[in-house]
Amino acid sequence: MNLFIMYQLVALGMLGLGLYGMLLRRRLIGMLIGVELMLNGAGLSIVTTAQLTPASAQLGQLGTLLVMGLAAAEATLVLAIVIVI
Amino acid sequence: MDTMAYIAFGFYTIICLGGALWAVTRRSLVRAFAGLVTSLLGVAGLYFLLAAPFIGLMQILIYVGAVAVLIFFAIVITGASREAQERITTTKKKRCLAVLAGLIPASFLAMAITKYSLVTNNTPPQVSMEDLGRALLGPYGLVFELISVVLFAAMAGAVLLGFKRRQ
Repeated sequence: MNLFIMYQLVALGMLGLGLYGMLLRRRLIGMLIGVELMLNGAGLSIVTTAQLTPASAQLGQLGTLLVMGLAAAEATLVLAIVIVI
Repeated sequence: MDTMAYIAFGFYTIICLGGALWAVTRRSLVRAFAGLVTSLLGVAGLYFLLAAPFIGLMQILIYVGAVAVLIFFAIVITGASREAQERITTTKKKRCLAVLAGLIPASFLAMAITKYSLVTNNTPPQVSMEDLGRALLGPYGLVFELISVVLFAAMAGAVLLGFKRRQ
Protein backbone atom coordinates (compact mmCIF):
# COMPACT_ATOMS: atom_id res chain seq x y z
CA MET A 1 0.00 0.00 0.00
CA ASN A 2 1.65 3.20 -1.12
CA LEU A 3 1.28 6.69 0.21
CA PHE A 4 -1.21 7.75 -2.46
CA ILE A 5 -3.71 5.06 -1.49
CA MET A 6 -3.34 5.89 2.20
CA TYR A 7 -4.15 9.55 1.62
CA GLN A 8 -7.09 8.63 -0.60
CA LEU A 9 -8.44 6.30 2.06
CA VAL A 10 -8.37 9.14 4.60
CA ALA A 11 -10.30 11.31 2.14
CA LEU A 12 -12.80 8.51 1.57
CA GLY A 13 -13.22 8.09 5.31
CA MET A 14 -14.16 11.75 5.55
CA LEU A 15 -16.61 11.31 2.68
CA GLY A 16 -18.28 8.36 4.39
CA LEU A 17 -18.47 10.07 7.77
CA GLY A 18 -19.85 13.23 6.18
CA LEU A 19 -22.56 11.30 4.35
CA TYR A 20 -23.47 9.47 7.54
CA GLY A 21 -23.70 12.71 9.50
CA MET A 22 -25.66 14.48 6.80
CA LEU A 23 -28.27 11.76 6.63
CA LEU A 24 -28.64 11.34 10.36
CA ARG A 25 -28.93 14.96 11.46
CA ARG A 26 -32.29 16.63 11.37
CA ARG A 27 -31.20 20.23 11.71
CA LEU A 28 -29.93 22.20 8.73
CA ILE A 29 -26.75 23.18 10.58
CA GLY A 30 -25.99 19.58 11.46
CA MET A 31 -26.35 18.66 7.82
CA LEU A 32 -24.07 21.57 6.89
CA ILE A 33 -21.37 20.12 9.17
CA GLY A 34 -21.62 16.84 7.27
CA VAL A 35 -21.36 18.64 3.93
CA GLU A 36 -18.26 20.50 5.10
CA LEU A 37 -16.64 17.20 6.05
CA MET A 38 -17.39 15.80 2.59
CA LEU A 39 -16.00 18.89 0.87
CA ASN A 40 -12.83 18.59 2.94
CA GLY A 41 -12.47 15.00 1.85
CA ALA A 42 -12.83 16.12 -1.76
CA GLY A 43 -10.17 18.79 -1.33
CA LEU A 44 -7.77 16.35 0.28
CA SER A 45 -8.32 13.89 -2.53
CA ILE A 46 -7.68 16.53 -5.20
CA VAL A 47 -4.46 17.76 -3.59
CA THR A 48 -3.23 14.20 -3.07
CA THR A 49 -3.83 13.32 -6.70
CA ALA A 50 -2.13 16.50 -7.86
CA GLN A 51 0.92 16.10 -5.63
CA LEU A 52 1.58 12.36 -5.75
CA THR A 53 0.82 11.56 -9.39
CA PRO A 54 2.29 13.06 -12.57
CA ALA A 55 -0.82 15.25 -12.89
CA SER A 56 -0.34 19.02 -12.83
CA ALA A 57 0.33 20.08 -9.25
CA GLN A 58 -0.68 23.67 -9.95
CA LEU A 59 -4.08 22.71 -11.28
CA GLY A 60 -4.86 20.52 -8.28
CA GLN A 61 -3.95 23.17 -5.75
CA LEU A 62 -6.02 25.76 -7.59
CA GLY A 63 -8.93 23.32 -7.74
CA THR A 64 -8.81 22.88 -3.99
CA LEU A 65 -8.78 26.65 -3.53
CA LEU A 66 -11.92 26.86 -5.66
CA VAL A 67 -13.58 24.13 -3.60
CA MET A 68 -12.83 26.16 -0.49
CA GLY A 69 -14.36 29.26 -2.08
CA LEU A 70 -17.50 27.34 -2.99
CA ALA A 71 -17.73 25.97 0.55
CA ALA A 72 -17.50 29.49 1.94
CA ALA A 73 -20.27 30.70 -0.39
CA GLU A 74 -22.44 27.75 0.57
CA ALA A 75 -21.92 28.30 4.29
CA THR A 76 -22.88 31.97 3.89
CA LEU A 77 -26.12 31.08 2.16
CA VAL A 78 -27.00 28.40 4.69
CA LEU A 79 -26.43 30.87 7.52
CA ALA A 80 -28.77 33.36 5.83
CA ILE A 81 -31.42 30.69 5.24
CA VAL A 82 -31.18 29.48 8.83
CA ILE A 83 -31.62 33.02 10.13
CA VAL A 84 -34.66 33.63 7.93
CA ILE A 85 -36.31 30.37 8.89
CA MET B 1 13.20 10.91 8.21
CA ASP B 2 10.80 8.60 6.44
CA THR B 3 9.47 7.15 9.66
CA MET B 4 8.94 10.64 11.01
CA ALA B 5 6.75 11.40 7.99
CA TYR B 6 4.75 8.24 8.61
CA ILE B 7 4.32 9.10 12.27
CA ALA B 8 3.11 12.60 11.33
CA PHE B 9 0.75 11.08 8.77
CA GLY B 10 -0.72 8.76 11.37
CA PHE B 11 -1.08 11.60 13.86
CA TYR B 12 -2.90 13.84 11.40
CA THR B 13 -5.05 10.96 10.21
CA ILE B 14 -6.17 10.27 13.75
CA ILE B 15 -6.99 13.97 14.26
CA CYS B 16 -8.84 14.08 10.95
CA LEU B 17 -10.95 10.97 11.25
CA GLY B 18 -11.37 11.22 15.01
CA GLY B 19 -12.63 14.78 14.70
CA ALA B 20 -14.96 13.77 11.89
CA LEU B 21 -16.30 10.87 13.95
CA TRP B 22 -16.82 13.18 16.90
CA ALA B 23 -18.59 15.68 14.63
CA VAL B 24 -21.13 13.19 13.35
CA THR B 25 -21.84 11.21 16.50
CA ARG B 26 -22.34 13.93 19.13
CA ARG B 27 -25.90 15.02 19.70
CA SER B 28 -25.02 18.52 20.85
CA LEU B 29 -24.31 20.74 17.86
CA VAL B 30 -21.65 22.74 19.72
CA ARG B 31 -19.69 19.57 20.39
CA ALA B 32 -20.13 18.49 16.79
CA PHE B 33 -18.77 21.89 15.79
CA ALA B 34 -15.68 21.35 17.95
CA GLY B 35 -15.14 18.02 16.20
CA LEU B 36 -15.49 19.70 12.81
CA VAL B 37 -12.81 22.28 13.67
CA THR B 38 -10.47 19.52 14.87
CA SER B 39 -11.01 17.64 11.65
CA LEU B 40 -10.36 20.74 9.54
CA LEU B 41 -7.07 21.34 11.34
CA GLY B 42 -6.08 17.74 10.74
CA VAL B 43 -6.71 18.18 7.02
CA ALA B 44 -4.56 21.32 7.10
CA GLY B 45 -1.77 19.23 8.63
CA LEU B 46 -2.10 16.68 5.85
CA TYR B 47 -1.81 19.51 3.30
CA PHE B 48 1.43 20.64 4.93
CA LEU B 49 2.66 17.05 4.81
CA LEU B 50 1.86 16.93 1.09
CA ALA B 51 4.21 19.88 0.50
CA ALA B 52 1.32 22.23 -0.25
CA PRO B 53 1.84 24.83 2.50
CA PHE B 54 -0.17 27.53 0.76
CA ILE B 55 -3.23 25.31 0.60
CA GLY B 56 -2.72 24.35 4.22
CA LEU B 57 -2.62 27.98 5.27
CA MET B 58 -5.69 28.73 3.18
CA GLN B 59 -7.44 25.81 4.82
CA ILE B 60 -6.79 27.30 8.24
CA LEU B 61 -7.67 30.80 7.07
CA ILE B 62 -10.85 30.05 5.11
CA TYR B 63 -12.24 26.97 6.82
CA VAL B 64 -11.21 27.37 10.43
CA GLY B 65 -11.26 31.16 10.27
CA ALA B 66 -14.35 31.91 8.22
CA VAL B 67 -16.59 28.91 7.56
CA ALA B 68 -16.33 27.54 11.09
CA VAL B 69 -17.15 30.94 12.57
CA LEU B 70 -20.16 31.19 10.26
CA ILE B 71 -21.40 27.80 11.39
CA PHE B 72 -20.92 28.77 15.01
CA PHE B 73 -22.90 31.97 14.42
CA ALA B 74 -25.68 29.90 12.92
CA ILE B 75 -25.68 27.53 15.90
CA VAL B 76 -25.77 30.37 18.42
CA ILE B 77 -28.32 32.55 16.58
CA THR B 78 -30.84 29.78 16.11
CA GLY B 79 -30.45 28.70 19.72
CA ALA B 80 -29.64 25.19 18.66
CA SER B 81 -27.12 24.93 21.48
CA ARG B 82 -29.85 25.20 24.09
CA GLU B 83 -32.40 23.01 22.40
CA ALA B 84 -29.83 20.33 21.84
CA GLN B 85 -30.77 18.72 25.10
CA GLU B 86 -34.00 17.39 23.66
CA ARG B 87 -33.35 13.90 22.56
CA ILE B 88 -34.32 13.22 19.02
CA THR B 89 -35.06 9.56 18.77
CA THR B 90 -33.30 8.09 15.81
CA THR B 91 -34.54 4.63 15.22
CA LYS B 92 -32.10 1.81 14.82
CA LYS B 93 -33.27 1.23 11.27
CA LYS B 94 -32.53 4.80 10.25
CA ARG B 95 -29.10 4.61 11.83
CA CYS B 96 -28.32 1.39 9.97
CA LEU B 97 -29.44 2.93 6.70
CA ALA B 98 -27.27 5.99 7.28
CA VAL B 99 -24.25 3.79 8.00
CA LEU B 100 -24.91 1.86 4.80
CA ALA B 101 -25.34 5.05 2.79
CA GLY B 102 -22.01 6.32 4.03
CA LEU B 103 -20.19 3.02 3.73
CA ILE B 104 -21.26 1.86 0.29
CA PRO B 105 -19.99 4.77 -1.86
CA ALA B 106 -16.79 5.04 0.17
CA SER B 107 -16.05 1.31 -0.09
CA PHE B 108 -16.77 1.25 -3.83
CA LEU B 109 -14.36 4.13 -4.38
CA ALA B 110 -11.79 2.49 -2.11
CA MET B 111 -12.03 -0.70 -4.14
CA ALA B 112 -11.55 1.24 -7.36
CA ILE B 113 -8.51 3.05 -5.95
CA THR B 114 -6.79 -0.07 -4.66
CA LYS B 115 -7.55 -2.09 -7.76
CA TYR B 116 -6.53 0.33 -10.48
CA SER B 117 -3.40 1.85 -9.07
CA LEU B 118 -1.92 4.90 -10.72
CA VAL B 119 1.70 5.73 -11.33
CA THR B 120 2.65 7.54 -8.15
CA ASN B 121 5.74 9.21 -6.81
CA ASN B 122 6.37 9.56 -3.10
CA THR B 123 8.07 12.95 -3.34
CA PRO B 124 5.51 15.67 -4.04
CA PRO B 125 6.69 18.61 -6.19
CA GLN B 126 7.00 22.08 -4.73
CA VAL B 127 4.74 24.67 -6.29
CA SER B 128 5.64 28.20 -5.34
CA MET B 129 3.01 30.77 -4.50
CA GLU B 130 4.18 32.86 -7.44
CA ASP B 131 3.38 30.03 -9.86
CA LEU B 132 -0.08 29.67 -8.36
CA GLY B 133 -0.76 33.38 -8.70
CA ARG B 134 0.46 33.46 -12.29
CA ALA B 135 -1.70 30.45 -13.17
CA LEU B 136 -4.72 32.04 -11.53
CA LEU B 137 -4.32 35.24 -13.51
CA GLY B 138 -3.08 33.61 -16.72
CA PRO B 139 -4.54 30.38 -18.07
CA TYR B 140 -7.19 30.00 -15.37
CA GLY B 141 -8.36 33.59 -15.32
CA LEU B 142 -11.91 32.72 -16.28
CA VAL B 143 -12.23 30.38 -13.30
CA PHE B 144 -10.98 33.13 -11.03
CA GLU B 145 -13.62 35.52 -12.34
CA LEU B 146 -16.35 32.91 -12.06
CA ILE B 147 -15.58 32.14 -8.43
CA SER B 148 -15.68 35.87 -7.74
CA VAL B 149 -19.14 36.07 -9.30
CA VAL B 150 -20.32 33.08 -7.26
CA LEU B 151 -19.02 34.58 -4.03
CA PHE B 152 -20.60 37.92 -4.85
CA ALA B 153 -23.94 36.30 -5.63
CA ALA B 154 -23.83 34.35 -2.36
CA MET B 155 -22.98 37.48 -0.40
CA ALA B 156 -25.72 39.55 -2.05
CA GLY B 157 -28.22 36.76 -1.48
CA ALA B 158 -27.30 36.51 2.18
CA VAL B 159 -27.70 40.27 2.65
CA LEU B 160 -31.03 40.19 0.85
CA LEU B 161 -32.33 37.37 3.02
CA GLY B 162 -31.17 39.24 6.11
CA PHE B 163 -33.16 42.32 5.08
CA LYS B 164 -36.21 40.20 4.43
CA ARG B 165 -36.13 38.97 7.96
CA ARG B 166 -35.87 42.42 9.43
CA GLN B 167 -39.08 43.63 7.74
